[in-house]
Amino acid sequence: MTWVAAVNETALVVFAIVVGVTLVITYFASKRVATATDFWAAGRGLTGPQNGFAIAGDYMSAASFLGIAGLIYLFGFDGFLYSVGFLVAFLTVLFLLAERMRNSGKYTIADVLAFRLKERPARAAAALGTLSVVAFYLIAQMVGAGVLIEGLVGIDFWLSVVLTGAFMIIYIVAGGMLATSWVQIIKAFLLMGAAVVMTVWVLAEIGWNPIDLFRDARSESADGQAYLEPGLFLSTPLDTVSLGLGLVLGTAGLPHILMRFFTVPDAKAARGSVMWAMVLIGAFYVMTTALGFGARAILGQGGEEAAGPTGNFALPTLADELGGELFLAIIAGVAFATILAVVAGLVISASGAVAHDVWSNIVRRGQDSEKEEVWVAKIAAVSIGAIAIIIAIAGGEGLNVSFMVGLAFAVAASANFPALLLALTWRRFNTTGAVTGVLFGVISSVALVIISPTVWPGADSEGGLFSWYDLANPGIISIPLGFIGCWLGTVLSKEQVNVRTFDELYVRSETGLGAETGTGLTLTGRGERARATAGATTTVPHP
Amino acid sequence: MTTTESGTAGGSDEHPEIDWVAAERSPEFRELVKRKRAFVIPATIFFLAWYFGFIVLAGYAPDFMGEEFITDGLTVGYALALTQFVMTWVLGWMYLRRADRVFDPLAEKAAEVALRAGHDRAGRFERGDEGVTRR
Repeated sequence: MTWVAAVNETALVVFAIVVGVTLVITYFASKRVATATDFWAAGRGLTGPQNGFAIAGDYMSAASFLGIAGLIYLFGFDGFLYSVGFLVAFLTVLFLLAERMRNSGKYTIADVLAFRLKERPARAAAALGTLSVVAFYLIAQMVGAGVLIEGLVGIDFWLSVVLTGAFMIIYIVAGGMLATSWVQIIKAFLLMGAAVVMTVWVLAEIGWNPIDLFRDARSESADGQAYLEPGLFLSTPLDTVSLGLGLVLGTAGLPHILMRFFTVPDAKAARGSVMWAMVLIGAFYVMTTALGFGARAILGQGGEEAAGPTGNFALPTLADELGGELFLAIIAGVAFATILAVVAGLVISASGAVAHDVWSNIVRRGQDSEKEEVWVAKIAAVSIGAIAIIIAIAGGEGLNVSFMVGLAFAVAASANFPALLLALTWRRFNTTGAVTGVLFGVISSVALVIISPTVWPGADSEGGLFSWYDLANPGIISIPLGFIGCWLGTVLSKEQVNVRTFDELYVRSETGLGAETGTGLTLTGRGERARATAGATTTVPHP
Repeated sequence: MTTTESGTAGGSDEHPEIDWVAAERSPEFRELVKRKRAFVIPATIFFLAWYFGFIVLAGYAPDFMGEEFITDGLTVGYALALTQFVMTWVLGWMYLRRADRVFDPLAEKAAEVALRAGHDRAGRFERGDEGVTRR
């Protein structure tokens, strides 16, 4: 990587600008955020388009920006399969969960379960699901951040991890969800802008015919026509299907994405924000064609060494090739902003699980003050951030994190999604069902990944515990197990189902009756934008 | 709001006066659920079928996915992948339109009926309190 030393200073300047802008936002947000609703839900004051950008910023990680481009660069068509799955997943979110979450939840996904089930076990189960997803996702992001920043700027791995974690903690502790949302919105703008510029640049380079992307890429690949066909990366057909299942149902169980629906004033804004997110995310993933195949067409096989074994550095190498030092520095800055926005979203959702679910409702049984709840949330955010920093540094750059994002999606799809969906739609569903379902989902996902060829018996191994089990993605087994767990627990327990509560949750989630409305909170003040949802005839209590 | 409202996940309005069982059985709510299901269930089946059709082909028929489509360089697989993007946007847009035109008015009506029944039951029907505003 010959360019590392050369870009150091330019990249540092770009990084400083990114950090400077986000810290100014955090400063403004810190003067506004007062209540728990402000802290976790940005006062429910975001508009649909704002939340759409924030969802896009929350969702698309460096794995999307650098990872998919790298996968396409190395393996061609298979990389693009991820792009498709990551987008289609939002239909599941839109049709099944977005509006219902907004109408029946408050800060965390546990709120929805606890509404009709026994409060403490239901919250414990939901918190387990949330924290498992966040743990795997967060560690993967932190290690990725360290590797990327070290590679792009030349700062040591451990310092890169510490800086990423430190800025994330500052956003959350000082500015809560309001600052986090705006960091995500700005990141989405930066990411889309960078993708558009690179796409246009790549197309100009190859002569404006998009089909030439494929033709040039094919002739630059050692695999020839196979580069444009499936199978170079995902060679086991069943594994491909399993991956697809995990992606399409997993997004609807990601706590940091579902939490975003609490930040808008009503269900209409919630579904509008999904549409905005689908347009942005879809446009971005279409452009990964130009980024990935373009990298292959322009860099050829000569770029493979610089791109690294995961291909993560393919896009920076392409940026360097196209626009030199300055452009590379800008792309590095966008990648940094991308990581910051995602880790902040993850940790604030985890702080909700710890403070709102475990502390406030399980430990203190709802007897604590709102002030205490927000304090505990901030302590939780600092602790989770610190733990993630320590694990990432202890694991080091060599830590095999490639499976962790996939595992996070698998747990989300197998534990969180079944429990949420059934709580909202199945009258008979009960607390035992929710607990067993989440346990089945978490345990089976983790166990299946541990015995998979990518993990067993050690990092980067080609083994697997059993020769007959060769799935890297557990979804096709663990998702049905999650649903079976929910069903078994429900029918085997003698627990009395409180039907009346289901009726209440059902009516509330479908109509928005009694849902908490927006407080009109914005970065610059508390406006009069509070909008009433159906049935909200009483005025909103202004904190 | 000074204390944590534990268990009241729904938010600020408790509505103790509403008979939720009756609200769930009201013809207005039934109509909302029926109309919503009539869209969401077929649309969900369609997008899952279209997506998994694509994924299964990618897994089990790589040769077919690699065949030339219209012009050299463009494969059947990539063309099918593009249809997934179009499908997502079109179905999303259809749902939003349906929600604005059909589901929202029905939801509003169902909520209004439940509220009014609740007020009547509680015997404290106040003028100006039944007007349901929704945007």
